[in-house]
Amino acid sequence: MNGLLATYRRELRAYFFSPLAYVVLFFFLAVNGFIFVALVGNLNDPGSPGGPPFTFFFNTSWVILLLVTPVLTMRLVSEELRSGSIEVLMTAPVTEGQVIGGKFLAALTFYAFLWFPTVAYAAMISLYEKVSWGPIGAGYLGLLLIGALFLSMGIFSSATTRSQLLAAMMTLAMVLLLYLLDLFGRLVNGDVLKKALDYVNVWGHIDELANGIVDTRRLVFYLSGTLFFLFLASRALEDKKWR
Amino acid sequence: MIEAHDLTRRYGDFTAVSGISFSVQEGEILGMLGPNGAGKTTTIRMITGFLPPTSGQVTVDGKDLFESPREARRQLGYLPENVSLYPEMRVDEYLAYRARLEGLSRGEARSAIPLAVERCLLGDVRHQIIGTLSKGFRQRVGLATAILHNPRVLVLDEPTVGLDPKQIISIRELIRELGRQHTLLLSTHILPEVELLCDRVVIIDKGHIVAEGTPQSLRERWTGNPALRVILKDAPAGAAEALAALPGVLRVKDGGPDGSWTLECEPGSDPREEVFRTAASAGWVLLELARQRGATLEDIFVRLTTADTADTAAASEGAHPPGPPAATPADATEEVVS
Repeated sequence: MNGLLATYRRELRAYFFSPLAYVVLFFFLAVNGFIFVALVGNLNDPGSPGGPPFTFFFNTSWVILLLVTPVLTMRLVSEELRSGSIEVLMTAPVTEGQVIGGKFLAALTFYAFLWFPTVAYAAMISLYEKVSWGPIGAGYLGLLLIGALFLSMGIFSSATTRSQLLAAMMTLAMVLLLYLLDLFGRLVNGDVLKKALDYVNVWGHIDELANGIVDTRRLVFYLSGTLFFLFLASRALEDKKWR
Repeated sequence: MIEAHDLTRRYGDFTAVSGISFSVQEGEILGMLGPNGAGKTTTIRMITGFLPPTSGQVTVDGKDLFESPREARRQLGYLPENVSLYPEMRVDEYLAYRARLEGLSRGEARSAIPLAVERCLLGDVRHQIIGTLSKGFRQRVGLATAILHNPRVLVLDEPTVGLDPKQIISIRELIRELGRQHTLLLSTHILPEVELLCDRVVIIDKGHIVAEGTPQSLRERWTGNPALRVILKDAPAGAAEALAALPGVLRVKDGGPDGSWTLECEPGSDPREEVFRTAASAGWVLLELARQRGATLEDIFVRLTTADTADTAAASEGAHPPGPPAATPADATEEVVS
């Protein structure tokens, strides 16, 4: 437990002390701000189809994770592998799982911190119109779940290589693949395959959640997926010793 | 404190360390000596649990490193060859982080950190960012983290490499100081360091142990017979024979262009007085009479690590070397780099 807590605190501190974090935060908010303004502008147009603005917001803004998750995770293990600080880390009385877990939780915390300012958007809308907070909460839950899965993929990539660039590219490829499964799902013929692809269709999930539907199947999918990649990451780290 | 039993490590087809066994006794400073690439760092990494051995076993304080790694690692403080710290952290922040990682409680950390800072003379830089520190100071921060949890054993891999002479002296003083309170395993390719610091030495070459013992015993075993160097003015005829006949002298070798002779003597004998009296009574002018310095650890090291496999095999079985070692004029402060 000590190892997890110590790693968590150190990594969280590292996020807030690096300029990268603020650059990410800046662009993240810039893009989301743009999406929000565009949404509100269009919904004000009487000719628009209308609907709850936050459902639209969740459906579009999460696409930015494609960029954010590789950048947030590429450093986490690769840097330690490259600099050699992994040697003093892994000779301390800690396990690989604790190290990976601590790093993951730090990344997740920073990720949540990125989204936090967007709560102000909901507050702004609530000044002019009644908002239903349930679906908004579910939407944020969806963002957290998807983020957790993508970040765990990122940590796994980072644990496999000492090159941050390679780690980022691997994460990007994995996340992109998940995005594209939706497209693929529309093309396939056959019920079983369609159902299977539906189960892993992130676009569908976020839409569901943004409409306030919290399905336990989605919770299980994201949590087990996250744990799976964290497990792979700690295995990858352990494997580094044997070569 | 540390028992390494039959450690072997292969990287693919390459065998870096092959069947090394040794032990470090409680309270002693053991030096591990070997040229670059001999397998020192691999051995050290297996002892600290960073690398699992291909075969063999390590116990620290009686606890198996791979069956109960946490208990065993708690007794170990490790300074790796390349000290990598987190450059964005301040020294005291880093030490606090390491204290948590080692599982110290808040109260324990509160007393352990200032102690480590004081012992490693880091007081002046404790609030400085690690990235701005000189290599010597970073080494000391590394040492401070190694002693933070008050381990019984300290493992230091080439602790003075890359430092300037002044820093080397201060790190050596620090190591000697630490050696009073911890059992120490020290790897190095710098011989004076071993002579200065270590109680016992293990010499490694090509993944094997080629010699083991105290610096004193190694010197004695490898020095061969004591020798005298004699120069007589104009090298009078018959002098060599007369000297060879002196009690305690085994044979006389013609010494080279300066007209000197080397008198090989029986162990324990000192015929200098007889040499003087013989020369005086015969009317020879004695220009020089000196005992030849025995083999240094450096000579032994060079011989052991440059000899072919047959020689080293014989050496590790304790065979006596044929003849005295090549008396290279070695400055005791010189480094030997293979």
